[in-house]
Amino acid sequence: MESKKLTPKDFITVGIFTAILLVVEFACGILGYIHPYIVASYVVMIPLAGSIPMMLFYSKVEKFGMITIMSIIIAIMMFVLGMGYLGAPLIILTGVIADLIARSGEYKSFKKIVISYGVFSLWVCANYFPVVVTADSYRQGLLDEGYSVEYCDNLFRAVNSKTLLVLLVVCFIFGCIGAFVGKAAVKKHFEKAGIV
Amino acid sequence: MMEDIIEIKNVSFKYKGSEEGLLKDVSLSIKKGETVLLTGASGSGKTTIIRLINGLIPHYYQGELSGDVVVAGKDIRTTELYDLAGTVGTVFQNPRSQFFSVDTDGEIAFGPENVGLAPKEIKKRSSTISREMKLEPLLGRSLFELSGGEKQKIACASVSALMPDVILLDEPSSNLDWNAMEDLKESIARWKAEGKTVVISEHRLWYLKALVDRIIYMNKGKIEHEWSRNEFAAFDENEVKQLKLRPVKLEENFIENFRNGRLSGHNVVDRDSQKDDIVLKDFYFAYDQKPYFFFKHKLSAEDGDMLSLNIPRLALPKGKVIAVTGRNGAGKSTFLRCVCGLEKDCKGVIEEDNQVYKGKKRLKLSYMVMQDVNHQLFTDSVESEVLLSMEKEDTARCDEILSELGILEYKDKHPMALSGGQKQRVAIASAIGAEAKLLLFDEPTSGLDFAHMEKVGELLKDLAESGKTVLVSTHDPELIDKCCDYVLCIDRGKIIADD
Amino acid sequence: MSLKLDPRTKLFMVLVVSTIIMMSATTTLQWIIRLIITLIPIGLLIVEKKYASAIRFLVMYAVALILMLRFLSEKPDGLIKSLLIGYCGIVVQFLPSIITAWYVVRTTKIGELMSAMQKMHVPDGITISLAVVMRFFPTIKEEYASIRDAMKMRGVMLGGGNAFRMVEYRMIPLLFSCVSIGDELSAAAITRGLGGKVKRTSVVELKLKAADYAFIFIFTLATASFIFFKYVK
Repeated sequence: MESKKLTPKDFITVGIFTAILLVVEFACGILGYIHPYIVASYVVMIPLAGSIPMMLFYSKVEKFGMITIMSIIIAIMMFVLGMGYLGAPLIILTGVIADLIARSGEYKSFKKIVISYGVFSLWVCANYFPVVVTADSYRQGLLDEGYSVEYCDNLFRAVNSKTLLVLLVVCFIFGCIGAFVGKAAVKKHFEKAGIV
Repeated sequence: MMEDIIEIKNVSFKYKGSEEGLLKDVSLSIKKGETVLLTGASGSGKTTIIRLINGLIPHYYQGELSGDVVVAGKDIRTTELYDLAGTVGTVFQNPRSQFFSVDTDGEIAFGPENVGLAPKEIKKRSSTISREMKLEPLLGRSLFELSGGEKQKIACASVSALMPDVILLDEPSSNLDWNAMEDLKESIARWKAEGKTVVISEHRLWYLKALVDRIIYMNKGKIEHEWSRNEFAAFDENEVKQLKLRPVKLEENFIENFRNGRLSGHNVVDRDSQKDDIVLKDFYFAYDQKPYFFFKHKLSAEDGDMLSLNIPRLALPKGKVIAVTGRNGAGKSTFLRCVCGLEKDCKGVIEEDNQVYKGKKRLKLSYMVMQDVNHQLFTDSVESEVLLSMEKEDTARCDEILSELGILEYKDKHPMALSGGQKQRVAIASAIGAEAKLLLFDEPTSGLDFAHMEKVGELLKDLAESGKTVLVSTHDPELIDKCCDYVLCIDRGKIIADD
Repeated sequence: MSLKLDPRTKLFMVLVVSTIIMMSATTTLQWIIRLIITLIPIGLLIVEKKYASAIRFLVMYAVALILMLRFLSEKPDGLIKSLLIGYCGIVVQFLPSIITAWYVVRTTKIGELMSAMQKMHVPDGITISLAVVMRFFPTIKEEYASIRDAMKMRGVMLGGGNAFRMVEYRMIPLLFSCVSIGDELSAAAITRGLGGKVKRTSVVELKLKAADYAFIFIFTLATASFIFFKYVK
């Protein structure tokens, strides 16, 4: 009697792994205060560092909705922590798509999981939305006051609406790489120990 | 006329993918209002029976089940767990991992909230329970601040809030010190007085002696003996030991003596110092430091009561096993951590074999086997764990160490796939590989049955004989009796001498 | 005197602050509105006796604001000046929402938040997962501290110079621990009725009071005037 309904245990599992992922994001995020350019490297660090817990999470996912709920909670937490709600559509959309992709492989096909995690990782870019939107309107405001175009570009060189597309792509790629890295770690430890 | 509230008929069970903890054709009836103790070695099936009564088997733990289990008229197989919540409540072993909320009030209300009771009713129940269990000082606080015993109290309150007829306890005293066990005893006594049926699975028997009506002894999945309270009380210590149960009178006597200040071992402070002693000097540490601007105030004996650890000088005999005892919160863990070198702010110095160890060097001298061994295993094979500790990797020496500890056959296995006792040995193997001279153990026998506790005792003795100095922080009187040469008693951060 | 605001009010404040800082402030009036919505949370922190953080935020904001306004008037030449302005600009931009978020997190009990979510008709499953997230943060902290100690003791803090090992040694024991705690937690929760067909109730009873309505009004007014003066005028 296989039920597709999510049980309390599923919700608790989602909660635990979301907490771990947010801790990873927070730990990497602190590095961003050292230098603004590091902020751009979030798209590399977070998918990679987060890949180990996420691949373990994927091995526990068997029903639709778990990945989706994870992204909903990430969106909620981002909002509550003051990073705005602009990223929410991105986070939730990528979460649902990632869930659907993984489901098409019955949550077992590794190829599908790689792509799924790649898409899921795009949530990291939601970190940039406030900066980008802010930058654009700030930039516009400065331009209105007569500052030169070069000055504005200089200011937000690393992260602005032009580079955002690049960041999204890099994020996806490192998400996919991360899936391999994470899976290797899960195999090495959790499968070997018989926990998976 | 007392009816049966729990009926287990011809039940056999095998966990999916494991041979441990199975049951072979077990039948057991428990009457309403009875207090029953389930005891026996680890793996004998005690916990499995508990899981049958509260429905975790078959709804949470998978396996092959045959036979019937009926609790308060409900067939466990066909009743959903949330329908059983109002009938059966369970207090689990580990205080840390059974609470769902972050604060005490939320935890007590958790059960009633789940079953949809009205807020007024929930508040009424909460205040009744708080009053009865004297929970005033614990209310409105974060669960993370509480001690193990306090957490377990809240767990009991949380179970009470659903007002179940049957209350199960699965090795509830494993992580508790003696005072906390007294509190637990009171909770059980209260439930008994309220007419609830209580079933307890336990290794440590002394605190339940007067409460239980029936004692059921299990071995390898079958019920081997059943005794009434009086029958069991009539046993002498040898008979108890024969059954591989933890000696009841010994534990009681020890605790009596300890409480009255009479120590049952040689106090390490009373011996004459030897030349090859390991000497600890200036071990001062405080958790809450005064705020400082640039330089941290160097702690000394003058800081007096503010100190969490206050040891000006201590001489430890080499190559012996020394028990570290004291109430929870007295400073035992602080002491171990400072000796090990984990507390940077503790500037104590250790002198050993004409060498002085300060600061980071102390880390090399000692090695601690933590209470949760899982936190110190990092690699994917037992061999790698030991090699990790070695300055220069030496596989031959590694094999030697593993075979001495009897775990050579697990060389390539992942440490997390091993049992608790085996993991402990892996940690010890790493300690030997690191060539630490001072070995520290933090509660190595909590939750272990008699046979396993004896093994640990022998291991500690062997380590001492091979020249290591062993410090064991423990609540376990039997362990102290078995293998400790000396006792070190700590109270409020200071070392206590016999009067 | 403690001001107990309903969590829904607090969430509304976060919403408003996030919205306002999204739009750039160019006129003085807009700046004043921005200042107000920054000072209110700081004021609330003081009311709730969180003096240390209130003062820290106030100082940070004031310094960044002054620096930015001062240097903005000069033509920025040189890398350092523009980096400084950029940095200050970012601080001024995001601090209001961080302060508001800090206030919300520090003064809201998780039970209240759960109850608020229920009232807002968020599905039970999401509420449970969110509760577990909050409950696990301190647990992760504790477990990680213990793992760090073990790493210190065994001398593997830097993973032997290997970046992957550094992450591995921290992450793997943490995951084993969390999974094990999670299993025990689930068992203890479902034996206490979690996951039933009945809708969960909450012992925390939330009601919007006068203070809530006052704040909701102020913040709505702030948003409305900001938008008005920016786009309509």
